[in-house]
Amino acid sequence: MTLLRVDNLKKYFKKIKAVDGISFEVKKGEIFGLLGPNGAGKSTTISMISTLFKPTSGDIFFKGRSIFENPIEIRKNLGIVPQEIALYPTLSGYENLRFWGNAYGLRGKKLKIRIEEVSEIIGIKDRLKDKVEKYSGGMKRRINIGAALLHKPELLIMDEPTVGIDPQSRKHILDTVLSLNKKGMTVIYTSHYMEEVEYLCNRISIMDKGKIIATGTKDELINIVNGQKVINLKFDKISKELIRKIKDINYISQIEVLDDEIILTTVNENTIFKDIIDKVSETDSNILSIDVKKTNLESVFLHLTGKALRD
Amino acid sequence: MRISDIVRKDLKIILNDKKALATLIIMPIILTTILGLAFSSSFIGSSGNKSRYNIVIVKKYDANEDLKRFREIITDGTIGEKLSIKQKNMILNQVQKLDVEEVFFKQFLGSNELKKFIKYRIEDENTAFKLLKDEKVTAVVILPENFIYDLNISLYTSFRNEVNIKVLGNSKYAFSTQIISEVMNGFADMLSTIIIGKSIFIQTAMEEDVGAKVFEDIDKFIGNMIEDMGKIKANINYLRVEGKEPISSFQYYAVGMAVMFILFASGYGSKALLKEKNNVTYQRMIIAGVSRFKIVVGNFFTIFFLALLQMLIMISYSSIILKVEWGSLLLVVIISLCAIFSVASLGTMIAVMTLKAGNYKIANVFQNIIIQFMALVGGSFVPYDLLPEFIQKLNFLSINGMALKSYLKVMMGYPVDEIKGHLFSLMISGIIFLIFAIFILVLKKEEGCVDV
Repeated sequence: MTLLRVDNLKKYFKKIKAVDGISFEVKKGEIFGLLGPNGAGKSTTISMISTLFKPTSGDIFFKGRSIFENPIEIRKNLGIVPQEIALYPTLSGYENLRFWGNAYGLRGKKLKIRIEEVSEIIGIKDRLKDKVEKYSGGMKRRINIGAALLHKPELLIMDEPTVGIDPQSRKHILDTVLSLNKKGMTVIYTSHYMEEVEYLCNRISIMDKGKIIATGTKDELINIVNGQKVINLKFDKISKELIRKIKDINYISQIEVLDDEIILTTVNENTIFKDIIDKVSETDSNILSIDVKKTNLESVFLHLTGKALRD
Repeated sequence: MRISDIVRKDLKIILNDKKALATLIIMPIILTTILGLAFSSSFIGSSGNKSRYNIVIVKKYDANEDLKRFREIITDGTIGEKLSIKQKNMILNQVQKLDVEEVFFKQFLGSNELKKFIKYRIEDENTAFKLLKDEKVTAVVILPENFIYDLNISLYTSFRNEVNIKVLGNSKYAFSTQIISEVMNGFADMLSTIIIGKSIFIQTAMEEDVGAKVFEDIDKFIGNMIEDMGKIKANINYLRVEGKEPISSFQYYAVGMAVMFILFASGYGSKALLKEKNNVTYQRMIIAGVSRFKIVVGNFFTIFFLALLQMLIMISYSSIILKVEWGSLLLVVIISLCAIFSVASLGTMIAVMTLKAGNYKIANVFQNIIIQFMALVGGSFVPYDLLPEFIQKLNFLSINGMALKSYLKVMMGYPVDEIKGHLFSLMISGIIFLIFAIFILVLKKEEGCVDV
């Protein structure tokens, strides 16, 4: 069953096409990933789904009804975890949760019980009395999520929820998302961290420059690359001559040059290493490391856009 | 979500903000105490300070010599030539009975009204100047040469001799010196009234052809005038109004600071909405289904209750610690509510404008320029009447000015009729600010925002 349908959605800010005609569907009970680099248009899309922005054109349907004609329906069923820590730092964790519970119409005993449940889910029960400003980055992120869960939303949107936190908190958040999904919650998860989206999402849309360049399950997306390998070469220095020589090698479909790295996409893994070593030896650069990457969404993104996801 | 939830959250944030508390609550208390103490000598009604102004009077005249000269000119001089012996005796008797020096020292300076706050002593000129230089006295009043002679000429004959009473002050006590000057002007005004009355009396008598008989009644006339003088209360400065309680420095600055600092509450609130937006909590509330109108009303009540808290603390502190008497409790409550309503509306209007602008320029101009301007023209720092005339004319532009005048009138014991106009202005200005706020909110939505 389709819970949310985005139909040819556009959002232009004067001359900037932040979102440029995207369409996708989110099915009930799935974790849907929006993957793309910073500035791809993910947050603008989320803002429109959250009814914060009206689109320039196009529409979004929640349970078959336009959210712009009936914003109340989606708002009461939507939990939003913004990229920013949208909390009051000088209030305690408990006071923040109580305020956001009030915002969703929860009060009294019902609210108290939900605060207990949510604080259990996000794992900050022991620190609820402390001011949020005293929390670590990971704890702030967790309570940011907790504030979106109080009213038991049908659809949870998480916009880059793990930015700038330690690995332990990240793991906790990812496990929380999986646990919530298991209990039936539909999740839209946006990130520029490829491995998070791979780990969590049933289906993924890859966004770049306001457009969706591919949609499918992880396997479907990887199949796009069709046997290609991504090789990451690290050099002591990269000269124009080196780039020219590398480009001359056969069977290279993509080449991406970073500061001290060259990322190649190739279908011929067998002879490519000999060719690379031969070509590099003709220049004054030295190879520091060679890393053959398993085909993943990064490879897909590189294949589709000609640039790395982390740019 | 209830508006009270937003207000409770905002007030909690403010109460957790030590810097804001220091600015909004502690500062007015400190400033009231400091200014009240510093200017206590400049206000008539300052409590516990009877005979507050120590002044020195220098007599540059010789009373006996002046009287002798006056008698001579009445008896043998040019004036006396036109008078009969009976008339001369009448005048000389009257002068004997009515000693103008006594009028000045006993009936004027010694009156119940003046001796409450003026203590005088008589010294020679050099000693007086030394005392003034050493800041041991507030002012020196110099009664000029021929003081008695000139006064008697003006009072008892058809001539008028000029009498100039000089007041010298130390620059440190400029305000006090001004008050002493006003007191002396009050005395001069009273004399002028009598002298003018006498002139009209004589002139009318001459026109009615009563002739020299007029001098037979002039003693009664002047006697009555002097008696009336005792009923005239000195018009010292604007704070002292007949039949009303004088204002002390603590009273003045308790009001002045309270009404100024509630403007700072408004300044604090003026940034709140954009701050919420920058923290994304504003957007989060919108997504949660809280309407923008509710958020703005929440902002209004936050400023309202913050200002109310400030007023409560200021009134309690000044009443209990500084022993300030605020007057009728009911009127104080009414003025406070009107002023706070106006301030909250203004802060809300600025907050909405700031939110729409997307930067803090408007709020900063409000905090750093407009509030300071209101504080100045409203008389929060310097009493309104001491300000230059062109600044006084701008007083109507200040919420604090209107509130301050109302509170002072209540303190002085004026009836409610006297403050109706100010209360009306405060309410109307508040309503106008709110209408503007709603107008901006409704007509100029944020970029593409979906409203419910």
